[in-house]
Formats: sequence, C-alpha cells, structure tokens
Amino acid sequence: MTGKQKKMLLRILVSGVLLIAAVLVPYEGPWRFLLFLPAYFTIGWDVLWRAIVNIGHGQVFDENFLMALATVGAFCTGFFGHGEYPEAVFVMLFYQVGELFQSYAVGKSRKSIADLMDIRPDYANVERDGVLEQVDPEDIAIGDEIVIRPGERIPLDGTVAEGASSLDTAALTGESLPREVGEGDAVTSGCVNISGLLRVKVSKPFEESTVSKILDLVENSSSKKARAENFITKFARYYTPLVVCSALALAVLPPLLLGGGWADWVQRALIFLVVSCPCALVISVPLSFFGGIGGASRQGILVKGANYLEALAKAETMVFDKTGTLTQGVFRVAGIYPQGRTETELLEMAALAESYSSHPISRSLKEAWGQEPQPGRAAGAEEIPGRGVRAQVDGRAVCAGNQKFMEELGIACAPCQQAGTAVHVAVDGAYAGYLVIADQPKEDAAQAIRDLKAAGVKQTVMLTGDRREVGESTAQALGLDAVYTQLLPAEKVEKVEALLQQKQPKTTLAFVGDGINDAPVLSRADIGIAMGGLGSDAAIEAADIVLMDDKPSKIAKAMFIARRTLAIVRQNIIFALAIKGLVLLLSAMGLSNMWEAVFADVGVAVLAILNAMRALRVPQD
Amino acid sequence: MKKKFKMVDLDCANCAAKMENAIRKIDGVQEATVSFMAQRLTVEAEDSRFEEIMDQIVKACKKVEPGCQIVR
Repeated sequence: MTGKQKKMLLRILVSGVLLIAAVLVPYEGPWRFLLFLPAYFTIGWDVLWRAIVNIGHGQVFDENFLMALATVGAFCTGFFGHGEYPEAVFVMLFYQVGELFQSYAVGKSRKSIADLMDIRPDYANVERDGVLEQVDPEDIAIGDEIVIRPGERIPLDGTVAEGASSLDTAALTGESLPREVGEGDAVTSGCVNISGLLRVKVSKPFEESTVSKILDLVENSSSKKARAENFITKFARYYTPLVVCSALALAVLPPLLLGGGWADWVQRALIFLVVSCPCALVISVPLSFFGGIGGASRQGILVKGANYLEALAKAETMVFDKTGTLTQGVFRVAGIYPQGRTETELLEMAALAESYSSHPISRSLKEAWGQEPQPGRAAGAEEIPGRGVRAQVDGRAVCAGNQKFMEELGIACAPCQQAGTAVHVAVDGAYAGYLVIADQPKEDAAQAIRDLKAAGVKQTVMLTGDRREVGESTAQALGLDAVYTQLLPAEKVEKVEALLQQKQPKTTLAFVGDGINDAPVLSRADIGIAMGGLGSDAAIEAADIVLMDDKPSKIAKAMFIARRTLAIVRQNIIFALAIKGLVLLLSAMGLSNMWEAVFADVGVAVLAILNAMRALRVPQD
Repeated sequence: MKKKFKMVDLDCANCAAKMENAIRKIDGVQEATVSFMAQRLTVEAEDSRFEEIMDQIVKACKKVEPGCQIVR
C-alpha cells in the first residue's frame, strides 16, 4: 500500500468510529444531523472540495460532484423526515472504501505486469585491473568487454568472446529449454546466464539492445487503443450527463404532475446519481487489454497495441511467407548439376558470386563450399531482388539466380530435376549448370496450421518467391488452403491487397513473415506478425505483433490470448451495463435503496477489475 | 516531435480519458494519448512551440484532476 492509500484507510476507520458514536447518541430532533457531520466530513471533505473546485473549472458531471450531490441530498431528505442521516455518511464511506480497493487493485496489476517485464538489467560487470566493477549498462560502449557470471542477466547484446554456458531465454521467448552458447555466438540482452562464466564483446549500445527495444515496445503498447476502449470513453461522455438529466427529471416531474411526495422522488433521483459514474467500465477495459498484452509478452509474444489484439481475435485469413516462417529457412545444397565443368568449380563460382549477399541461399552456398572467400576474388556484386546476383569472379562475369533471371538474360537453362530451389549459374553469358537448395518445414508448422483452423481461421494462404513445385509441395505437406508461388516482393503486396478485398467484412487478415524483405507486406496487412524477433531489428520495427522465437505455433496461442482478452472485455461491459441498468430501473420504480446503488457503482467496478486481472494469466502448455 | 511523460497520482480512469480529449483540442497538438494503466502521457506536437504547448497541456490536466502531476 502506498502512503496515500494508508492515509485513506485511516480516514475510513476514524469516520466509521465517529459514525457509530453518532448513531449511539440518544438525541432526537431536528438538529440530530449535526451529530453526523464529523463522520461525514472526515470521510468526504476531499470529495466535496474537489466537486466545488471542478465545477469552477467547468467539469460538472464528474464523480466527485455526483457523490457530493447524492450525499448532501440524502442529508436534506433526512432533514425533511424521509431518509436516514447514517445513510448519507455510509454512502460516502462505502464509496471511499471502493475507491481505495480500486486503486489498490490497479496498483497491484500494474506491478504484476511490470514484474512480468522485469528484464531491465541493473548493471553490467566490467573488468578493470583484474577486479570486476559494476557499471550502469548505459555507460558501456560498442566493443567493450563485459563479464556475465552465472545467475546474472545479460545487460547488452553482443557476441561471446570467451566461455561457454547455457542461457535461460524464458523472459524473452516463454521457451523453457535453455539455449547453449559458446565462443563466437551472438547473445541477446535479457537472457539469464545459467551455468558458466561468459565474456561478451558488446555489439550494441544499451538503447539499441534487444531488452530496451522490447521494454519500449511494451510500454508504448498502451497508447494504441482498441476500438472497445474508444467506445467506452465515448460512451462515458454521454452516459453520465444522460443519467444526471434523467435524475433531475425524476426528482421534479412526477411530483409536479402527480402531486405530493417530493422527498420520495428526490431519494430515487439521488440513487440515479450514485449509479451514473461510468468508472467500472472506463477502468476495466484498458486494464483487461493491458493484462492480455502482459500475459502474451510472458509467452514471447509482443503485441504493439490493444488494437492489434482486438484485430487478431477477428482474423479469418492468415497469409504466410514460406521461407523462415513455415520452413526453417536453413537451406542446404542438396544437389549440384554442372554443365561443362566439375561440381567443385560450379559450387565455388556460385559461392563467390553470392559472397556479399546475406540471403539464406547465399549463406547455404558459402556453407557448402566450406571456405572463406579470399578478398579480391569477387567484386562488383549487385543484388537484383527476386532474381539473383551479378558479380565479377576472378575477372569473369558470373550471374547466379533463378530461372526468371536466366530468361531475362537470354540464357537457356536446364530443367530442374529435384524438388528444391534451383540456383542457375551463367559464366560470361554461357550456362554453367545449376545447384539445388532445399529447405525443411519447421517441426511445429503443420500443427500450427491445424491449430489455427481449429481456432476459426477460414483461409490459410502461403506466398512465396520460390518456384511453383517447391511452394506447392510444401503447402500440401502443411495443409494450407492456397499457395501463390514465384512472387516478387511487390507481387506479394498485390496478392495481399487482393486477399484484403476478398475477405469478409469485419474480419481481418494477418500476414506472418520473418521480417526479411517483407516489411511492405507486414504493414499493408491488417495485422503484421513477424517471427524471430530475437536479433532482427527489421521485424520489431515493421510488425504489429512480434513472436520472439521462431515457432509458428505461437500464432494460435496469440489468437487464443486475444480472444480471451476480448471475451473478458465483453463480459465486463455487459455485466456493468446490465447491473447499472437494472438498478436504474428498480430505483425509478422506487424498489431499490442507496445500498444497491453504491454496489452498482463501486461493487461492479471492483468485480470488473478482478475479472480484468484474469487476462494476465495465460495457461501454460 | 514526440515525447513521453510520466504522470504521478493519475487516479481515475475516466479523468485520463477526459485529459486526453482536452489535450487533443489544444492548438498545435498532433496526437496525444493518456494511458491510465501505464501512467504515461505521449504527446506529438509542433517542435517550435513544444514548451508552450506543454504549459497548456499541464493547465488542461490540472483542470480535470488537480492532484495529478506531469513530470517534465
């Protein structure tokens, strides 16, 4: 409890004692209400004060004003012989108890979300003259060497310079299996070092390290509001004045038209006022979304805003990139088919031509070749997106790329005889043969598609730049509904736009990619989901939802969290409106009392908050 | 220019929504969000008059909830 909350608790207790004392004094008569004033002012002075100040500011229909009016009104009806004085004090007392509980519960859930995201490192160890010194991570520069002892959190991104250990990445990915790292491996800030001592050469300053990016993203997520949230604030703007006006009408019209019974109707109107505060709704909706986003981030699913969570719950079309998303993205050279030279020559030629590219295909060629490209052998490399690479290798013009590339160059190539990606090579304008590179689907890819279908996704589509045979065989193996192959990056955007036109209204389309080359598609889709956020800045920038590990099965989980959060939001809206509506109706008919009204206001808010906190908990599998 | 501010003692969710509306109406403010959960104000406003706009924002928030402070 904060100091402010403790003070309020004290005031509640003192006021309660004063109230009991006042009830026990046996004085009856018109001045009896004076006995209750000490208790009333102890608990309610700030409410009264704020009500007056706010009216001065032109804020008429706020909750302070409503509570002040309701309780002062209760005193007046008591004075004229109808209501009871204790009721006025009790209403204020109960209101403050409810407010206290609200602020406690909200503070608590704020803290538990902050704990979930407790990945901010406090210090980094730097060795100076053989002694370890603790330094603020923000003071570390690129190239510095830091030491991470077992049990400590890695403060900055870097590469292991010395030592081997296993890392706990659970805080980032939700993955419980530790990751083994050794010399030369990249490590991500936010992971916990489990076993061995690591010396890490820092590769990014603190502000650009993964941990800062993630924290920034989660903290900013609350500024992107969901439709439900905007609806509620808009609703609140009309609801309160409307109820206050009906209260006024209820107090004045029936006695004027029907005659007599002022006090009774005024009492009913006061009950209206107590119920008119929209706080339960206004508080519980953002709290639910906040909880949902917090729970998702614990699973390694980063959601950039409540609006994306809302959109994901309605996704019925799911479009996938193939490479690196549904497949491992690790290409291996599976076959070499040279024409007029040896296999090694062809492989060397292709690997050197592609040596400047970071494309997965290029990497697999380099890997298969198994040598470091000697400087100077390859020059003038030029990457042609969706086609291939052109470079000077040992002074000869080498082109390596897909069939389209060869056709454009006017070179006839041999038909590919093996399932996989063919890299055709031409040397000085003459065909030199091709290499086949194959990729495997991820282990959980087929299961992920099945889960999504079970979760209500109507259409699953795969887009790939790959050849038709490869794309179609992968799509069939994984059970996708449709596949479009041999697409250039720009054509992927066109395909997604066409699919956006086709989808049912009120449903959404999500695109899942790995963040490499598909940033335009990620931003064009209703929801862009990027995979493998660990290490890829492009993915974190471009996407709306980032999966920290490479598992497509996390998408179904994200959808589950989104749906559950939305269900909780809906429950809260309906529950709060129903109770309030019921009490309004009953009190208009004179069937409810002040107690029920206070419950409808504060009690409902508390229950809605408790319900909203469920969104934080995500069942582990 | 986009800036973030911490808000202290922002106690009521409805007030946060009211503040947000009031801030958005201020001349020169392009975008503003008040997050009750994160206790945070995000403002995007004209660079040249940012400080002046912030003064107006503080005033607008004081009007809605006098106890709430924006840490600048």
